[in-house]
Amino acid sequence: MHRGIAALVISCFCASPFTSAQDFKILDREVALHGFVSQGFVYTNTNNWLTMDSNQGSPGMTEFGFNLSTNVTDKLRVGAQLYDRNLGQLGQYHPSLDWAVADYRFASWFGIRGGKVKTALGLYTDTQDLDFLRVFALLPQSIYPTDLRDATIAHLGGDIYGSISLKRRLGDLSYTAYAGHRSDSIYSGYPYLLSQFETIFTSFGGLQYGADLRWRTPMKGLLIGASRLNQDTEGKGTSVNQLNRGGGRIPYSESSKSDWTNQYYGEYRVSKLRIDAEYRRYLRDELIFGATSENVDDVRGWYVSGAYRVAKRFEFGSYYSHYSITSITYGVLAGLLPNQTDTSLPANHVYDKVISGRVNLNRFWNVKVEGHFMDGYGSSTYPDGFYPQVNPQGFKPNTDALVVKTGVSF
Amino acid sequence: MKRPIVLLVAAASIVFASTHLLADDLRVIANFSVRPDTISDSDLKHIFLEEKISLADGDHVEPVLEKNGPTHATFLQEYLGMSEDDLENYYRTLLFTGRGSQPKVLGSDAEVVAYVARTRGAIGYVSGAARVEGVKTLAIWIPGRERALITRVEPYYPETLKQLGIRGTVRLRILISAKGNVEAVELLGGNPILGESATEAVKKWVYAASKSRTVAEVSIAF
Repeated sequence: MHRGIAALVISCFCASPFTSAQDFKILDREVALHGFVSQGFVYTNTNNWLTMDSNQGSPGMTEFGFNLSTNVTDKLRVGAQLYDRNLGQLGQYHPSLDWAVADYRFASWFGIRGGKVKTALGLYTDTQDLDFLRVFALLPQSIYPTDLRDATIAHLGGDIYGSISLKRRLGDLSYTAYAGHRSDSIYSGYPYLLSQFETIFTSFGGLQYGADLRWRTPMKGLLIGASRLNQDTEGKGTSVNQLNRGGGRIPYSESSKSDWTNQYYGEYRVSKLRIDAEYRRYLRDELIFGATSENVDDVRGWYVSGAYRVAKRFEFGSYYSHYSITSITYGVLAGLLPNQTDTSLPANHVYDKVISGRVNLNRFWNVKVEGHFMDGYGSSTYPDGFYPQVNPQGFKPNTDALVVKTGVSF
Repeated sequence: MKRPIVLLVAAASIVFASTHLLADDLRVIANFSVRPDTISDSDLKHIFLEEKISLADGDHVEPVLEKNGPTHATFLQEYLGMSEDDLENYYRTLLFTGRGSQPKVLGSDAEVVAYVARTRGAIGYVSGAARVEGVKTLAIWIPGRERALITRVEPYYPETLKQLGIRGTVRLRILISAKGNVEAVELLGGNPILGESATEAVKKWVYAASKSRTVAEVSIAF
């Protein structure tokens, strides 16, 4: 927390209206240094949210990143970004290499990039940390759960990508196909959620592969697209047999039987107005404890958002985010984790109505104020913002939240 | 032999005459290494959005931006369809995801001209009043934004060609003066015999007046 605030203060100091990217030369090549930092404050009226003591008001929402990049040749670019965050109990200021990429573009229609690469999934997966790009302090959590950032943010592997102009002015198609290894932080939402069952992960990750196709249509400002992600993950650690708690710690393992995401999206920009809509279905079928148990989570989310720039320095926006989950458990753990199939119950959904305002103090520094009005608190078997560990008194069905966030980028 | 020369002259006329843009107060300039003299608005947009790093001939191109000002605003609105904030966010998205870089941004017309003149593949924009020595000015072709046709003369279709079954569609690219007269015609496709007749007719067409010369494509069926 203190480190985050210190970084914010330093960045604010550096980000005078005349500050821009810091360019310098290494071996006679121009190298660009860019960065961002943000600090949030969250207050909720009932349940604690996003692993913070938000009911008391919490400033535990800090993140920052810095990157270096250079063009080695006309077609080859290299760069890397360091990222760190603290979100309540998550992140805990353990820095990570966010991306580190060598990108070679043969032609407009074909390029390759390799290394640790940001994953193209829907409109905002790869830019979800870049708070300065949008009016909202938090993206719709039904599609972009900030507590599960690690799950989809990047892969260690490679992409092929390109852009093709369609004939007869039918617009442009952009594609990305990728494969690689996902490596989650043990300070992420899923390991934290399972800590309620005394499960401690030592590793979590696995294969990811998928594709994204987006069409910039002939209608000015309209983009539509679809993404698909397949995963084969494995988590290892230790746990406690909940049926024999005196038996000490035992090895824990879980692995994917089936794990896929389909996402469809559209974006429309006209003048100062921007409208987005996305739908995601995530099916996660996990074998637990060496296949003695199986848990199937079916997560469906969608949102519609609008943002309008009222003046040069002021924007406001609103969205409705709809999240629901069903969870079915088979085998030994079936008795401990009752099936949840009724999405009308607050335990199986989060419906979030949001209004937000953003003021740009200068080109580099913004302040956001956002109100969330949430119905439901989601499942206890899958991370969705509300965790039993920070709500030991149980959940209330509704939560209102105030988020105030400020950020600097250069 | 005569017809190819006519076509060559017509093509050259398009190249040398199309030095004005749809927006009179703006010129798109390029380093002499950029071989084409005409560029479509679509290609221009792709270059500035870093989606295109080479033109059809395979030569490298790179965008150069001018900082703020009316020229910058006109260019963004006319050719990119984006506000300054949108464009800044676009480049930031590329930068912070490792997918691209911030193009060179320069403070004045003179700086842009100087940079474009010395940088292979550079394409930039300056105000219409700027001195553009050492660079070439590109004509912008905007398909689908044709001017209203006021006078249309139908091409002559000789009986002998009809009887021989020579028919088809001819595609032409035409350069229209600010007053609306057709100044030059280039045959893009179709039977050359029909193309000659179509060219003669199209030269008599009159379009609505405009602020500047424009380029258009027409198809004529025989």
